[in-house]
Amino acid sequence: MINVSHLYKSFGELAVLEDISETIKKGEKVVIIGPSGSGKSTFLRCLNLMETPTSGTITFDGEDITSCHGKELDCLRRRMGMVFQHFNLFPHLTIRRNITLAPVKLGLMSKDEANETADRLLKRVGLPDKADSYPNMLSGGQKQRIAIARSLAMNPEVMLFDEPTSALDPEMVGEVLDLMKQLAEEGMTMVVVTHEMGFAREVASRVLFMADGKILEQNPPEEFFKNPSNPRLKDFLSKVI
Amino acid sequence: MEGFFEAIKGFFVSFGDKFSQNFIEKNRWQYLTNGLATTLIITVCAVILGFILGFIVAVVRSTHDKTGKMKAGNFFAHIYLTVIRGTPVMVQLLIIYYVIFQSININKIFCAILAFGINSGAYVAEIVRSGIMSIDNGQMEAGRSLGLNYRQTMLSIILPQAFKNVLPALANEFIVLLKETSIAGYIAITDLTRAGDIIQSQTYEAFMPLLAVAAIYLVMVVGLTRLVRLLERRLAKNDKR
Repeated sequence: MINVSHLYKSFGELAVLEDISETIKKGEKVVIIGPSGSGKSTFLRCLNLMETPTSGTITFDGEDITSCHGKELDCLRRRMGMVFQHFNLFPHLTIRRNITLAPVKLGLMSKDEANETADRLLKRVGLPDKADSYPNMLSGGQKQRIAIARSLAMNPEVMLFDEPTSALDPEMVGEVLDLMKQLAEEGMTMVVVTHEMGFAREVASRVLFMADGKILEQNPPEEFFKNPSNPRLKDFLSKVI
Repeated sequence: MEGFFEAIKGFFVSFGDKFSQNFIEKNRWQYLTNGLATTLIITVCAVILGFILGFIVAVVRSTHDKTGKMKAGNFFAHIYLTVIRGTPVMVQLLIIYYVIFQSININKIFCAILAFGINSGAYVAEIVRSGIMSIDNGQMEAGRSLGLNYRQTMLSIILPQAFKNVLPALANEFIVLLKETSIAGYIAITDLTRAGDIIQSQTYEAFMPLLAVAAIYLVMVVGLTRLVRLLERRLAKNDKR
């Protein structure tokens, strides 16, 4: 589904990603872990071109997206949902409008359809009574669940999660992870950057370890956590688990 | 004691006389109402013009700052800001009336609207730009990740929030503009200030007409301030926690 080949990304002098090649198949749940500054968020953000790669190609359903511009790029991003560490809900709009804004603005749904979709999604994320609240009235966990609902309203084919629980109070991490697990069980293709090892172990079909802008090791979770071979990974796992 | 009351009584009697001499006789109050109407027309139109110009320039400038695009637009915006903010508004008014439109028989009020609008636009532009820059980058990213294009994200997500943040500064600019129109008399427009002058030249009395003019400006500014506060309160409804 997503094919990355020889991806490089640097910010000025600083090389963040070095020669990354990777294939993500439909229905896969890929979890990326690694120390901070390893380039995992940048890699994720390259997948929907939030960051423009310095070189290399990324294809999505056979289409080379690194050469996409303007309209093509906007259309492409509709098919990829993204969830951010800091939620990035629109504070001046109600929850309902947060969810319906893009589908209505882009002419994908009528207002009524979008409202129905919003109600359905709010029920699904367990916040059916928050439609007319504003983001500032919600807790962090609720905000992130709304952010996920907002992405889902576009019917994405793949969901990208950029440290979705890192900004949450510990007691709220569970509710967001549960929702993500539910999504995974429904067969959504997911790429998740996270520090939640439990989630990786339980949900991932594949875990990638990144450090210094490279993917150093990858395996299904059982193998990955039981028999790490790369010394950097061994060191990392000994610190976080 | 007797003398004291006499003096007070004398003051009120002469106040009443002067009032009727300056405003009632020969319907001189009409100078003030006509002048007020002119001042209001110039102010309202100039505010609208300044608003439109300011928003366009602000968006051009911040688009350039954020994405590096619109180089030519940014160049012209920069010249506009430098020239307009670097010269007195009165000189601009005189240039527009006596130089640019000297050979064409043009409505003076239109000239004043143009001069004050163009002048105000430069200040509004920088106020709005500061508002746009104050919005977290994540808002733009969230909008783009949903497939909205740059323009749509700017219009429905960034600008409404920016506007709310800079409303007090904008209100300040409009108060300044309202009072600045008092120099319109320099191109022989009978605005509120000039109306006071005319009464003074007929009655040889400075106190009454000037006091009336000052009071009318004050009432307008206080009214405007109230209106803005109402608007601020309305826009603040999503801040409640």
